[in-house]
Amino acid sequence: MLALARKVNQSIMIGNDIEITLLEIKGDQIKIGVNAPKSVPIYRKELYEQIQQENKNAGKEVDPDKIRDIFGKRG
Amino acid sequence: MKIQTRYFGEVDVEKEKILHFEQGLFGFEEYTDYTILYDLDRGKDAFFSWLQSVQEKTLAFVIVNPFKVRKDFDPVVETELLASLGEYQPEDLLAFVLATVPSDPQQTTVNLKAPLIINQKNRQGVQIVAENEDYEVRCRIMSEENGR
Repeated sequence: MLALARKVNQSIMIGNDIEITLLEIKGDQIKIGVNAPKSVPIYRKELYEQIQQENKNAGKEVDPDKIRDIFGKRG
Repeated sequence: MKIQTRYFGEVDVEKEKILHFEQGLFGFEEYTDYTILYDLDRGKDAFFSWLQSVQEKTLAFVIVNPFKVRKDFDPVVETELLASLGEYQPEDLLAFVLATVPSDPQQTTVNLKAPLIINQKNRQGVQIVAENEDYEVRCRIMSEENGR
């Protein structure tokens, strides 16, 4: 991993169109600003990992008959 | 074309029924092609259906019509993140959410936070992350339905 020391209000560029700015340091929290094209999705990593994990949970084997039992009468 | 399915053996699927997710799904980026299998008795109006990978037999999901979970379902996302859907009108888009069904089905949840959006016109799909703060990754759907 590349590690760069930055001061408040300094930035780094990733490629030509993604700018990450260190906005504020308060105790153990750091506020980061990201300027990127709207076509670049930006997620908090916890959420990203949670969604990956939940997709994997959803992909586990189920019993189709049980699914029909619990969902079949709804709709 | 004939595909092998996880729950229904070999199924014959028309080529026009294959959905392409250019970016795959989160955690399953390598699987891009799917088809939707409907239960015979309710068809497209059913509460749930199956998203079956065309490439991997053992990859299949229970998917749910989100509007039957939440009538006002309206995920917010930057239009640019829907670019892989190509050209579409709002009425061309279909939404599904993945269901997680644990061994106790009362604990079933759906992922309202990361719906699948499908352009029916060209059968391109994408899984998005909705900006809506109150959409949960694990939204329980059985509790308030008890006794119905």
